[in-house]
This record gives sequence, structure tokens and C-alpha cells, in this order.
Amino acid sequence: MADYKALIAQLTAVAATPGKSVAAVIKETGKEAFGCFPLHTPEELVYAAGYIPVGMWGGRTEIKLADKYLQGFCCTIIKANIEMGLNGTYKDLKGVIIPCICDTLKCVSEDWIYACPQIPVIPIAYPMQRKIDGAIEYMVEEFRHVQAKLEEISGRKITDEQIEAAFAIYEDYRQAMREFVEVAADYPLTIDAKTRHLIIKAAYFMDKAKYTAIVKDIIAELKQLPKEEAKIKVVVSGLVSEPVEVLDILTENGIAIVADDLSQASRKFRTPARAEGTALEKMAGIIADQKGDTFLYEPEKYKGSMLIDQYKAKKADGIIYFQMKFCDPEEFDFPIVKKEMEEAGIPLLYLEVDQQIDSFEQLRTRIQSFAEIL
Amino acid sequence: MFVGIDIGSSSSKVAILNENKELVGLAVENLGTGTNGIQIVLDKAFTQAGVTPEDIKYTVVTGYGRMTYEGADTQITEISCHAKGTAFFNCDAKTIIDIGGQDAKVIKIDAAGNVSNFNMNEKCAAGTGRFLEVMARVLDCKLGDLSDLAKASKKDVSISSVCTVFAESEVISCLSAGESISDVAKGAHRAVARRVAGMYNRVSGEPPVVMTGGVALNADMITCLSDELKTTVTPVSHPQLAGAVGAAVFAYEKYHKAKK
Repeated sequence: MADYKALIAQLTAVAATPGKSVAAVIKETGKEAFGCFPLHTPEELVYAAGYIPVGMWGGRTEIKLADKYLQGFCCTIIKANIEMGLNGTYKDLKGVIIPCICDTLKCVSEDWIYACPQIPVIPIAYPMQRKIDGAIEYMVEEFRHVQAKLEEISGRKITDEQIEAAFAIYEDYRQAMREFVEVAADYPLTIDAKTRHLIIKAAYFMDKAKYTAIVKDIIAELKQLPKEEAKIKVVVSGLVSEPVEVLDILTENGIAIVADDLSQASRKFRTPARAEGTALEKMAGIIADQKGDTFLYEPEKYKGSMLIDQYKAKKADGIIYFQMKFCDPEEFDFPIVKKEMEEAGIPLLYLEVDQQIDSFEQLRTRIQSFAEIL
Repeated sequence: MFVGIDIGSSSSKVAILNENKELVGLAVENLGTGTNGIQIVLDKAFTQAGVTPEDIKYTVVTGYGRMTYEGADTQITEISCHAKGTAFFNCDAKTIIDIGGQDAKVIKIDAAGNVSNFNMNEKCAAGTGRFLEVMARVLDCKLGDLSDLAKASKKDVSISSVCTVFAESEVISCLSAGESISDVAKGAHRAVARRVAGMYNRVSGEPPVVMTGGVALNADMITCLSDELKTTVTPVSHPQLAGAVGAAVFAYEKYHKAKK
């Protein structure tokens, strides 16, 4: 087993340089890369088709070309994706899957056809009433549609056995990640906010089976170490906890992330699959069973109570709400979460962020003030 | 002696406390971070207090320039320092509105006098002192004259935009349309008050409300904020120096805590 520090460094390096990492995995595996927009993208099908699924979570870039397709007030992550599609960053992708899960993504699934005609797009829609039986049937049909498109683009037939095998690899990944976030909470100094983020993010730019093996080794190694205590412990919520400079500021102020409710992290792997059914039915079941997800319709709005549960379970000192500009669904949820946190007497910091921030002084003041309050 | 330094975006402030926790030095210089304003204001405050740098036992720096100032023992955010400074002046406040050159903040105080919540403006200048500086320039008056001008207003002129750049265009349009400088100045104050009211509501602010920061020197701004929040907003003593005073109190407390 390799030294855990070297394994952590390996994963953080992968996440810090996605372009280089994807090029390396293409070279290493001989497979081609296929883009997966957020959120709840059926990566298992991409994997089963023999591609390397690549997460498309925006990134630092100067927005110049994307303004032709998206207004200034659109989600900055998706805008960055369009920009990078237009400026050639994604030139090696053999296609992209775009889940039509919010207003911006619905438009982008159409925009992409005109913006990046050389990269085929596969849209997928999820049902609002996701818990009824018909929803499972509908989602399986949608997955079959994605499967057919992947077969058309790749020229390869995808068998049910390949889908089952890919699903098993992803279930193994999800289980390992559930354990990782639990274990990482006991080692908040070794796995500081930025390291935690980069380790989780690396999964989007690697072969999942290889990634999972490394994460399992890190977990095993961490468990051998004496547990650590952070000065201040927080639970974070939002789409993503970027830019990473903000995570450095958290660490500078003695703040560690001990649990999350992030789309890029735990929302992706926290829901276990059902025991019964085919792989496609289980994939649909994960979406149907997901609780407290901003982007999946839920009239009961469990998000706030789940955050309170995480806060209590981890004996956290506060909650940080990462509001990515201009993510409407997260903004709609905030007043509800804020009210629940106030009623529960839980300190809550609202951080409006975007990936293109150059100056961090205001955010530094907000974070430091929050730390001073706690 | 215990020194509090507040290095803002457009001015530098220093407060000095003696061993009895009494204010013995207070100085402001209208030069902010990145200038030699801090040295000028320190010299002023030392002279006023009759002390030399050797007499200083502990220094706390706050404000926008706190991260780059190397002469302090520690740095604390202006949010905590304004709350501490307000408490020093014995204000019975539950909410503090601090409008400085670059930032506008609403700070909620709990029963024990600690910061329980806060909100601050984004990096744009809407709702800040900079907004008023731009308005004063367009209206061709001194920043200090805005208050008296606005008090003479006889008609409501709405400045609807919260963006400083767009509001500047809007003000020029109003002047071109023949609106008086007084009415436009009042409209600018109301625009800032509306912006701050949004932040006040976001932190669930409640009276009594006090105001700190340089903009609290503008009496008509206090009136507009009181109107907008439907409660009396009171400026603290030496509002521009509240952050520096709070930093000095922190310096006093940290020194004595370390001694124990």
C-alpha cells in the first residue's frame, strides 16, 4: 500500500489540473473521453459504453464567447462550460450529456447544438414527480435513450451486462465515498477543506475503478492515524465549494469541513441503491430516493432538517451556504434554510461565490468574521 | 497603552486607550490602504495621547488594509471591531449599520453584546460611501455638503438603480430634466437607504439601531435610513472611529488576557 500522503497528492493533483489529467487517462487507458454536465448524469452508461466520463463543472476561464448564448445572470458554472466548449478546451470530448435539470441547463442543451456542433449532445430529462412508479419507468426509458445515442456516437453496442458491470463499479465508488467523508471528518487537519474538495473532485477526471481503489487505500491509511480535532467545524451546502481559494481562507481561519451537502460531493453519492431491480432501475431509484437535493422536486423540503442533523451528528459549530452565482434553485432554497437555521439557533454563513473571482478580500472578511463569531 | 488601527479603503483611523481603558487618542486621516495615511494618523494619535511607540503594549489592526499591515500584534475583522467599539460607547444596540468608503455592513448583536449575524455588500459600490462620493462629484458639491443639500429637498426624485455606474447616468438624466441638486441628493440618500434596508432585513435586524462608519457623519443619510427602516437610527459617538476604538478595546482585552 502506498503512503497515504502520496495518494492524497496524486488525487489533488488530478483535480487541480483537469485538462492534463484527462489527457493522461486517455493515454493510459486508450479510451476516449465523454463530457458529463451536472447534475445526476448517468455516468454509468458512459462508462459502460467504453468512454471515460469527464465531469464538466466549469472552471477558471475568461468569459468572452459564451455571452453570445447566455445572459450575464446565468449560472456561472454552465457559462464557463459553454465558454470552454467554444474556446476549444473540450475539443477532445466525443460528446456531452446535458441533464435538463434547471432553467439554464434546459436552454444549454439547445445552445450546445449551435455553439459546439462538432461535439454531439445527449440531453436527458428527469421527472418532477420522481417517487411514483411511473417515474422509474420513465427514467429507465430516458436511460435507454441515452444508451442508444451513446451506441450511435461510439458505433459500439452496449450490453446489459456492461451496464450492470459499470453500475457495480459506481456503487463501489459511492460506498467508498460515503465512508471517505465520514473518515475525513475525523482527520480535519490532514484532510483540510481544500484537500477534501480536491480528493472528491478528482473522481470526475479518472477511471472510477482506479479512483475508488486509491480512495479505499487513503481511508485505510487514515484509520491508522490518531484522530485530529479542528478548531472550528462546519457543514457546507451548495452546488460546489469553489473557488478553492475560499477553502484556503477557511483553513487559514481554522475552519474544517466535517460534512457536506454539495452537488459535486455528497449529493452525488450519499443515496444507497435499492437492493432489487436492474442496473437502470437502480439508477432511477437513486434519483427517486434522493432526499434534500436542491435540484430534485421535493415539496417537503428536507434540506434544512438534514443540514441540522449533520450539524448535530458532527458536533459542528456552524453551516456555510455556498451560493454559486447565479444558481436559481439554490437561491430559492436559501430563505427556507435560513429560517430553519435561525429557529434552531445554528450560525449560518451565506457566501456568494463564482469561479471567476479574482479578489478574495471581501470573502476573507466574511469568513474571518464568521470564525470570530463562532 | 493599547492601540486600535482601522485601515479603510478611503481613510485610516487610530484609537488609543490607556491602562484605565480611557480613550486618550483619536485621529482620522482621509488616506486609506496602500497610502502613507496610516503613518500620518498614528503620529497624530500618538501626539494627541502624549505617548511614543515604546509605550504601546498591544496593537490590533482592522479594516480593509488589515492583512497587509505588519505593525500589529493581531488582526481582527471590522465587523467584530465595530461591534466592540459600539459596546464601548455603551450603546444599547441590537443592530449596527456600518457604511464606510467601500463596504456597507449590517451587524446583528445578541443579548450578550456579541455579533450573532452580519451581512455585507458585494464587491460593487452600491450602498456605500463610494456611491455617495460619485454622487457628490456628479452634483458638483463636496461630500460633506450632501447632507445639507438633501435636507433642502422639496420633491421626491427617485434614483432607482442600485448600481453606482447606472445611478450616475440616472442622476445626470435627472439634472438634465431640470431636477434640483437638493432633490437629486435626497434621492441618492434614499437609494443607499433602500439598499441597506435589504441587508437589514436579510439579517433580521431589529431596533435599537445605531450607525457607525464615515457615512454616519451625514445627518440626512441617518434620516433616510430611519425612514426606510421605520425606526430611529442613532449615530454612535465618533462613528468613523468605532472600528478603531473596537480594535483598541480588543488590544486592551487581549493584553490582559495573555497576562493572566
